[in-house]
Amino acid sequence: MTKVAGLSLKYIRKAYGDVRAVDNVSLDFADGALTALLGPSGCGKTTLLRMIAGLEDPSAGSISLGGQDITRLPAHKRKFGMVFQSFALFPHLNVSDNVSYALTIAGTPRGQAAARARELLDLVQLSAFADRRIGELSGGQRQRVAIARALAQEPDVFLLDEPMSALDAKLREDMQVELRQLQQRLGITTIVVTHDQHEAMTMADQIVVMSEGRIEQVGTPQAIYHQPENAFVADFIGKANFFDGVTEGGNVRLGAHLLQITPRANFIDGSPVRIAIRPEKAGLVGEANRLPAKVTFVRDVGPVRDIYLDTPIGPMIVTDSDSGQPLRIGDAVAVALPAEAIHVFPRVADQVAA
Amino acid sequence: MTAVDSTKAEMTAPVPQMRRPWGTWALGALILFLAVTPFILVIVISFGQKIEGAGWEWDFTLANYQRFFVGALWPDEVTFLHLQRLYYALYYAVIASVLAVATAFPFTYLLTRQSRRAQSCWLVFILASLSLSEVFIVMGWDVLLSNRSGLPMLFEVSGATDWLKRTGWFDVLREWGLANPRNVKFKTSEFATILTMSYLVWPYAVILLYPALSRLDPSLTEAARTMGASPTKVMTSVILPTVKLPLIGSTLLLFVFLLGSYVTVVVFAEPAKQTTAVAVYESVRGATLDAPFGAAQAVVLLVTAALFLVLAQYLTKRSEAR
Repeated sequence: MTKVAGLSLKYIRKAYGDVRAVDNVSLDFADGALTALLGPSGCGKTTLLRMIAGLEDPSAGSISLGGQDITRLPAHKRKFGMVFQSFALFPHLNVSDNVSYALTIAGTPRGQAAARARELLDLVQLSAFADRRIGELSGGQRQRVAIARALAQEPDVFLLDEPMSALDAKLREDMQVELRQLQQRLGITTIVVTHDQHEAMTMADQIVVMSEGRIEQVGTPQAIYHQPENAFVADFIGKANFFDGVTEGGNVRLGAHLLQITPRANFIDGSPVRIAIRPEKAGLVGEANRLPAKVTFVRDVGPVRDIYLDTPIGPMIVTDSDSGQPLRIGDAVAVALPAEAIHVFPRVADQVAA
Repeated sequence: MTAVDSTKAEMTAPVPQMRRPWGTWALGALILFLAVTPFILVIVISFGQKIEGAGWEWDFTLANYQRFFVGALWPDEVTFLHLQRLYYALYYAVIASVLAVATAFPFTYLLTRQSRRAQSCWLVFILASLSLSEVFIVMGWDVLLSNRSGLPMLFEVSGATDWLKRTGWFDVLREWGLANPRNVKFKTSEFATILTMSYLVWPYAVILLYPALSRLDPSLTEAARTMGASPTKVMTSVILPTVKLPLIGSTLLLFVFLLGSYVTVVVFAEPAKQTTAVAVYESVRGATLDAPFGAAQAVVLLVTAALFLVLAQYLTKRSEAR
C-alpha cells in the first residue's frame, strides 16, 4: 500500500438549514492508524465520514491529504475506499466482479483485475466464493466482500461506516478483531464510524468522541476511558456514578460530606461541579473517602458483582471483583472512593445529576 | 413463525362442510363469461366466412388468414398489404415505447432523488394526466402540429423556416418528410405518430419505473463513486444494470399497449402507413363490413404481442442465467 502523509480536517462545518450536523471539527489522522469516530446516533459522525469520502460537501472548512487541498475534489477522484453500513454490494455482479469493480472501470485488463480479486478474496478468506452471487452470501461474508472491494483500488484512506451494525453480536466481536488485524497488516490509514464503545475500544489507536456535531475528546482508548475530559465522555464511555457538588479548597463538598480529590480540583471555592467515579474504581474495601452505605441490590454476573448502594450522597453502583464479602439486600457496608479515581467536571447551571 | 404455522394449520385442517352461497357461484360465472366469451368469439369468427352484400356465417376456413399473409388472390397473385400494416403497427409501437421509456427513465431517476413532498406532487400530477383520454391528447397534438395554427406557423413567423432554408437543413427535413416545399410540416408523418404515441404512454412509463428506481439503494451509487466511477460510469455500470429488468418490462408493456393504438394512427399516420389496429376497425365497422377478416387480423395482432412477450421472457431468463 502506498502511504500518503496525513489526512487533515480544518474547521469543518456542515449545516442543513438551521441544523448544524458537524460544527467546527479540526482533526489530524495519523498515518497507518485506525481512528474511530464514536458518538450517539445523530452526533454527526457519519456526516463527517461522508465529507471525508467526498459524498457530501462541507459548508465551511477544508480537508487536505498529504498537504493537498481535496475539499472540493469529487468522490470518484479521491481514491478513498469505503465500506457502507448496508455494504452496498452490486446485486448484478458476482463476488469476484464486485471486488474487481474499481479495477475494471479503471480499465485494468480483465485477467489482471481477476487476479487481484482472487488475491483480495484470499486476504478476507473468501477464495471459495468468487463465483457466488451476492444473494447467496451470509451477512459476515458480505461484509468481507465489501472490505475486499474497498481495498481493491489500494486506497489512500480506508473508511468504514458502522461496518458491524448488520452483524449479530458474536460475529461482530470476531470481525472487530479480524478487521483490526487486517488493518495492522496492511498499515492503511483507517477511519471507522461507530456508536459502539466496545467496538471503538477494540479496534482503534485513536478515538474521537463526538456529540451534537462537536468533538468532545480525542485520545487513545485508555486515555478516553481513564481520563475523560468532560461528563459526556465519562458517561458515554463505560459506566460512571455521577454526583453534583461544590468545590471547597480543591476538594468537593456533597452535602455534609467533603470528598478528598487528588490532584486537587482547580476551581474557585463554591464552583458548582459534577464528579464521576467508575463503578470498578469505587470499592467496599479501602480507606479513602469512606461513606456509609446500604445494599439495595446485587447483580452477580459471574466474574464480577455489581452492587447497588444507597449512600448519603446518592445511589451508586460499585463493581466488586475481589472482596468476596457475602452481601444481602439491606446490609450496612462502607464504600470507599479513591481520591485519584474521582473525576471533577465543571457543572452548567441547568445540569441535573443523572 | 406463528403466522406461518397458523396458515399451515388452516390449510391442513379439514375444510368444514360449508354451503357456498349461490350468489358467489353466479358472480364467478358471470365474470368468467364476460371475460372469456368475447375473446373466444373473435377467435371463432376469424375462421368464419363473409357473405357478399350481407353479413357473415359460421365456417371453418383459413381464407382470412391466407388473405392476411399472402393476399386474397393467392396463389395467382401475392400481396403483402396486410403484413405491411402489421409491420407499421410494430414499427410505431417499438419506437414509441422505447422513446417513452428512454425519456421517462432520467426523469423518474431524478424524481426519486427529490424530497418526499416534491415526489408526491409530481406523482399526483402524472397520475392525473392519465385521466386524459386518447382523443383529447390527439386533439391537442393535432392543433399543435397543424400547418395553419401550430408549430409550423410559429416556425414561419419566427423566421426559423427561413433560417432552415438558408442553412440547408430544410432539404434534410424534406427528405425526412417533415417539410413541404413552403414550410415545415409535422402532421401526417411518422414523426407526429410516434411522438404522440410516446406522449400517450409517457406517464405510464414513469409510474412503471418509479417503484424500481425509488427502491434503488443510494449507497450503491455512492459506493461506485468512492471506487472511482464518474457519474456517467455509475449510470452505465451500476444503475442501468440494476434496473435492467424493470426497464425491459416497462418497454414491453407499453409496446403491447401501443400495438393497438387507434386514434393516433388514424389522425397522424399517412394513409399508406396505417396499422393493423385501424384495419381491424375498418373491416368490422367500416365500408367493407367483413367481420371474419377483421377478427383474423385481431388474432394475428394478439399472437404477435404474445410472441414478443415470450421472446422477452426467454431473453431475460437467458441473461439472468449468465
